Amino acid sequence: MSAGTEFDAPTRPVAPARTSARDSSASWRLTDRIGLALAWTLGVGFLLVTGGIVLYLMIQGVRFVKPELFVTSPSAGFSESETGGFLDPLIGTFAMVVIGMSIAFPLGLGIAVWLSEYGNPSWAARITESVIEMLAGTPSIVFALFGMLLFQSPILGFFSQSMDGVVYGRSFLVAGIMLSFIALPLIVANVREGLQAIPGHVREASYAVGKTKIATTRRVLLPAARPSVMTGAMLGVGRIIGDTAVIILLLGATLKMVPANHTPILGALQGTGSTLTSFVYQNAPTGEANQPEKAFAAAFVLLSLVLILNVAVNITVRRGRKMAWGS
Amino acid sequence: MAHPSVDPLAADRGSNGDRRAERLLGALVAITVALVLAMIVFVLREGWPSFAHNGWSWFGGGGNVDRQTEAIFTSANFNRSWVYEFHAWPIIWGTLLVAGLAVAVSFVAALFVAVFVVEFAPDWMRFILEPVIRLLASIPSVIMGLLGVLLVVPFINDVLIDDEARRSVKYIVSLNGYSLLSGVFVLSLMVAPLMVAVFVDGLRSVPRNWLEGSLGLGINRWRTFWKIGVRTARPALVAGTVLATARALGEVVMLAMVCGGVGFAPNPKDGLIFFLEPTKPIAAAILQSAEELTSPPMRDTIFAMASILLLSSLALSLAGWAAKQPMKKYGVRA
Amino acid sequence: MTKKTTGLAAATVVALAAVPATTQAATIVGSGSSASTPYVEALYAAYKKVDKKNTFTFNANNGNAGAKDVQEGRSAFAIQTRPPQPSDSGLRYSKLFLDALTISVNPANKLDNLPVKSVKDIFTATQTEWSAFPESGLTSPIQPFGRVATAGLFTYFTSAVLEGAPTASSVTPVDKDGEVAVAVSKNPNAIGYVGLANSKPASGVKRLKLNGIEATPATIKNLKYPLSRYAWIVLPANSPNKAATKFADWVRSSYEAGVVLKKAGAVPAFNATKKSKKK
Repeated sequence: MSAGTEFDAPTRPVAPARTSARDSSASWRLTDRIGLALAWTLGVGFLLVTGGIVLYLMIQGVRFVKPELFVTSPSAGFSESETGGFLDPLIGTFAMVVIGMSIAFPLGLGIAVWLSEYGNPSWAARITESVIEMLAGTPSIVFALFGMLLFQSPILGFFSQSMDGVVYGRSFLVAGIMLSFIALPLIVANVREGLQAIPGHVREASYAVGKTKIATTRRVLLPAARPSVMTGAMLGVGRIIGDTAVIILLLGATLKMVPANHTPILGALQGTGSTLTSFVYQNAPTGEANQPEKAFAAAFVLLSLVLILNVAVNITVRRGRKMAWGS
Repeated sequence: MAHPSVDPLAADRGSNGDRRAERLLGALVAITVALVLAMIVFVLREGWPSFAHNGWSWFGGGGNVDRQTEAIFTSANFNRSWVYEFHAWPIIWGTLLVAGLAVAVSFVAALFVAVFVVEFAPDWMRFILEPVIRLLASIPSVIMGLLGVLLVVPFINDVLIDDEARRSVKYIVSLNGYSLLSGVFVLSLMVAPLMVAVFVDGLRSVPRNWLEGSLGLGINRWRTFWKIGVRTARPALVAGTVLATARALGEVVMLAMVCGGVGFAPNPKDGLIFFLEPTKPIAAAILQSAEELTSPPMRDTIFAMASILLLSSLALSLAGWAAKQPMKKYGVRA
Repeated sequence: MTKKTTGLAAATVVALAAVPATTQAATIVGSGSSASTPYVEALYAAYKKVDKKNTFTFNANNGNAGAKDVQEGRSAFAIQTRPPQPSDSGLRYSKLFLDALTISVNPANKLDNLPVKSVKDIFTATQTEWSAFPESGLTSPIQPFGRVATAGLFTYFTSAVLEGAPTASSVTPVDKDGEVAVAVSKNPNAIGYVGLANSKPASGVKRLKLNGIEATPATIKNLKYPLSRYAWIVLPANSPNKAATKFADWVRSSYEAGVVLKKAGAVPAFNATKKSKKK
């Protein structure tokens, strides 16, 4: 343990050196012992609750997951055998991620780089910072309402279906664009943190060999901050996958994908559809379509996606820690 | 903020590509900021007629907010002159209660868990606990809502409520498990993990030698960590709380499913029954009436409700920003 | 990064250029309550065999907004569960098929018949105890469940059962039909109004007879069941979309549509009972 005194350096302990005292808690004051006991209880409690939720959904879902569900579209029907699978919602979720991230990722990366590497004038940086922070705190239902308002205006008719001058305002494109706002702050925050954790001497070394600022950012800083970039991106994807409010209001309530016109791909993106979240919402016993087996199977898939993403984030974070900049 | 110590050589500054890159990035930032500001303006402007019509009494109580909502959209549907009367206190109070209680509960739980994770959990436990908490944070709200309706609500109805309690308020509301309590419980499960994550980050960046100094004085680990670690990380605690509050205020689908959907302001004077009374937070109210967006006065009212949410998230992020300032000098990030 | 951005922009431009591709077949948009989505989509699927050219889509918002969508030209037709209202100028309503609202209780409740008057008493909190209905075998307070005010079923229930009286605040309003069914199935003291489709025994609820009459296709069709009601199709009074009109006629009268409606839990009112011979 180096006896460092400069606390202003962004220190993230490589392996958190814990207080190594071996004192047993038996000698502690009662309140302290209660505190420790509470910490244990709550820690274990969290494990149990999460484990319980995951197990419940796994058990409920895994019974109903069949391979054919992944390749058949939902179809209109009134019994579990007629209603098809969740191919369309799967594609929908995928499409949301692609649209949302293809906007949020470059934008977030750009904003983070600007904030961390340029950021002048400083008042503009401060405003941007607060705006991004505000974005992180904005309820998704507000994005949904704003999206509805915005995309029903005839000028933006391109993004959804329009008929005789009346703009429908609900489509994959519209929902994806609004979802990108939800992912954006997560990307900005994480990329920025990653960039800021890179010590100044790395930049100086790059400038010394004659690289420009932007070249340094692209060739040195961003690659070095890759774990943070990845973490931000995956957290963003997680939020997009899990969102329900925006999807319910802006994607339309059709379980199948209904293209707006016959242009391939673009027509579908201008049309309506569903995602796994809205599929669960509709098919749950509480929903309109009420096909609980399908709902639980889809919830299982949704949860599995979330799980996989989490494992991925975890691995990236661990790897990131390993290559943290020691001093 | 930008790294002030590292400024490229003056010659590089003038490089063409660099200029262009900066301008491009600046433009991206400007567009985003403009869009967000436009959103605030749009939402406020759309909601304005509702505020203008009711004045300050918009925020007050009076009458039944559900009935007012109904009157608002039916007025347009039936070609009557538009009705705007809206007194949002019950749903504002419901929002404050649900979010406030959930954040309070989560705060305590998250603090203990974060301390546990950073300092006291055995390695294997930490190894499991951290990803598990992150997983809990990312379970989609529609799944949490479903679990709430299928498990939590019936449990509260069967176990925690007796006929005695039901009779005491039966002319006003039904006590049937769709309640403040179920909302707070499920919401706590959703926001506590967010807090844990931020708290853990904050606690980890507490300089070790501060703690070691205390330990050297013979103060036990718990006390040391609690008095010095937690205190030093206070800004992180505030930041985590702000983040969690924002999420709690904005939670929609789950709350719409488990809270009971009545525009009723639970009354603390009712004693413990208070927690079992139904309520309706603003976000849930918006979702429930969103289908009536085509009715002009309803649309204004919905956007007025959305403005309240938006303004509170604005205020919250300001608070969060202010809370982070003192932390910066310790290099603590949250 | 700059290069990539340009590439992306170029791709967007290409995509933009591709938009004004001519569409030979029309897309016909219908509106209506989200509750009607399942059967409307089933009807669309069956109608594909009849009309191969046009695409039908459904904009599920809610029962009241549907008519407005048609007025504003946002939709070619709407499916409504409420009769015409003063605001419906410029619209033509036609009866489409029959549906019914059921009053359902938990299977633990022994009650099997309730006068409509009593349902009104319960939902206006005049009657709050199951002990007032000894056949129920319960002595606990009644826990009524209803729908949020934006729901079409709420509007219908208010006029047909409550005769315009306001719903008591002790009625727990939920978002969707299925949620009422779930709540009633999990709560022995509950009673709620549920659509025909969600009140099947599989939903874990028990339908009550009303005024001694069970909700069967026959009693609904001859309108004996007190909460029988028509679903309407709404078209613009002037120059309605031809494809939409044809679709409406098909739903109203064809044998195939009748089959779909039956499966959906609705009751065909005017549909042919036999398969027509000519294709």
